[in-house]
Amino acid sequence: MNNKLSIAYFYPDLLNLYGDNGNVEIISQRALKRGIEVEVMNISIDSGFDASFMQKVNFVFMGGGPDSGQKSMYGDLVNNKKELLREYTENNGVGLYICGSYQLFGHYYKSADGTVLNGLGIFDLHTEHFGEKKPRCIGNTQAELSEIITNDPVFKNVNKLDTTLVGFENHGGRTYLGKNIAPLAKVVVGHGNNSEDKTEGAVYKKSYGTYFHGPFLARNPHFADYLIAQALQISGEELPPLDDALIIAAHTASKKLKQ
Amino acid sequence: MFYLILFLAKLINLIIKITKIGAGYTWPGHIALKLYPSLFKDPHFKFQRGIIFVSGTNGKTTTTKLITHIFKRAGSNVLHNKSGANLLNGIASSLLLDTSFFGKTRSDLAVFEVDELTLPELLRNIPPTVLVLLNLSRDQLDRYGEIDTILSKWEDSVKALDAQTVLVLDSTQKYFDQIGAAHRGKIFYFDDDVTTLHLTKLVGDFNAKNVNASITVASLLGVSKEQSLVYLSGFEAAYGRGEMVEHGTKLFHLFLAKNPTSFNNNLELLLANELSPDTLFFILNDEIRDGRDVSWIYDISREKLFEACKDREIFIAGSRCLDMAIRLKYAGLVVNESNIGIEAKKIIGKIESTPHTKIVAVFPNYSAMLDVREVLLGRQIL
Repeated sequence: MNNKLSIAYFYPDLLNLYGDNGNVEIISQRALKRGIEVEVMNISIDSGFDASFMQKVNFVFMGGGPDSGQKSMYGDLVNNKKELLREYTENNGVGLYICGSYQLFGHYYKSADGTVLNGLGIFDLHTEHFGEKKPRCIGNTQAELSEIITNDPVFKNVNKLDTTLVGFENHGGRTYLGKNIAPLAKVVVGHGNNSEDKTEGAVYKKSYGTYFHGPFLARNPHFADYLIAQALQISGEELPPLDDALIIAAHTASKKLKQ
Repeated sequence: MFYLILFLAKLINLIIKITKIGAGYTWPGHIALKLYPSLFKDPHFKFQRGIIFVSGTNGKTTTTKLITHIFKRAGSNVLHNKSGANLLNGIASSLLLDTSFFGKTRSDLAVFEVDELTLPELLRNIPPTVLVLLNLSRDQLDRYGEIDTILSKWEDSVKALDAQTVLVLDSTQKYFDQIGAAHRGKIFYFDDDVTTLHLTKLVGDFNAKNVNASITVASLLGVSKEQSLVYLSGFEAAYGRGEMVEHGTKLFHLFLAKNPTSFNNNLELLLANELSPDTLFFILNDEIRDGRDVSWIYDISREKLFEACKDREIFIAGSRCLDMAIRLKYAGLVVNESNIGIEAKKIIGKIESTPHTKIVAVFPNYSAMLDVREVLLGRQIL
């Protein structure tokens, strides 16, 4: 067992659209409450970053950003971080990628004007923006977690709630999954990846992408604990339950929110 | 056509007043614009001293009220829109209801707060004498989109403006440089110097810019800085923006907290001991006008939230009270579950029956502020 949670938070200054940073706060608090040591390391364009650094990390988080933020970090991500993130992901490193960074983990992003921006190609998926032809996907969301997760004994051990995720989405791009990646969940309310195939987010090894933006983990404590257990390489039984009454009430109430 | 629309608008207004439907201030303008889309271009809307637009994420209502106050004291008849009625329909209502049956405006100066997204459309129709741009920060992402999007829309509208319009900008906002560069006419800047603020009764350093902006506007239209400061010594805070309401045995101090910037500003008031309440009351709603996405509460500074709340009694209400409670929990605070409930009225009842509570600072978001005022004062604003 790994008894320290070492979080690498990528581009907190540039990719933090609407409270995404809450996820790092939530993961840290839930670990600290269990007496687990937590270290949060912020990585941005000018941060020192190499293979030895990534060796220490057991959880990576990256949020979504405004266009300007994504433009400024794109070069640095592709030129300086791509290979280490690929290696980390392929070696079963645990990571959560929201909205813009979820898209960047795919093969490419095609803008409404046809411009193609290459992604990291770590996730087998691509994203397209159809401009005025298709409306933005905005609203409250609810989705049923995929069986890869619900059948995982680690998830079963930490789950004191149910098998759904709730959240809020706000994205213009529509994401299509390839053959070598599974959806994170099946849409119950909302648009999910593309408003067509009912998939939401993606799971590849121990990395997760989602369009449920902002403080996604606030109302999904079971998923937060699942990430912590995987990062620490424990079965989940070792994580004592927390007093989550309010959080469970909020999760349940969220299922009644209109899209 | 104009006179028919004018008559209709007044009639609708009268019906709303007689039937006490309330909340109908924007209807005359709404219907008038449907029937007469070029209403704003109508030559009847003439104001001798000019027309002033105030826009930005935070501070619109306070700055509009400050400017209005100065010019009223200086002897002008000032037309201004009711707070919140800052979309096209609200502004159309204000204009129509200020115009006599003979088509003459009663006021000699018009000061309008304008919603950030509405501003480009309004500028296409009415060239203002002075345009005040206060700031832009993240707010209601599901409705407004990213700051960059609004900024580029503003830049386009300023580019198309007549050189006669005087632009008044915050000198401390670097992102306004591109707006300034796009303007052909004169530009005046204001800053965040607190000297003038301290001569008024307003609290919160964030109000310094609002005060300085209004003094700048006044001086452009012939009221000296010294004179403005004399007038402003009697200024009362706009409703819900530092407003104090006595209710039962308690004193409620209302501070609109509708986005991360205004929320953090309010927390700073507590940390600087400009306010010393024993109780805090948060109300978070998710109506369309508030933004349905409450994710932004995680952009509130965790440290400030903790420091401001730690030794105080906390109450939480609103349709998303649970989300707010969780946000406080993750900031390391403990909230008594019986102090949490959806209905503001019930929680106010609880506060009333809490003996050790005397001064309550209320931090509501937009619709929540209207709710809480209705309970405390027994009336709605819009």
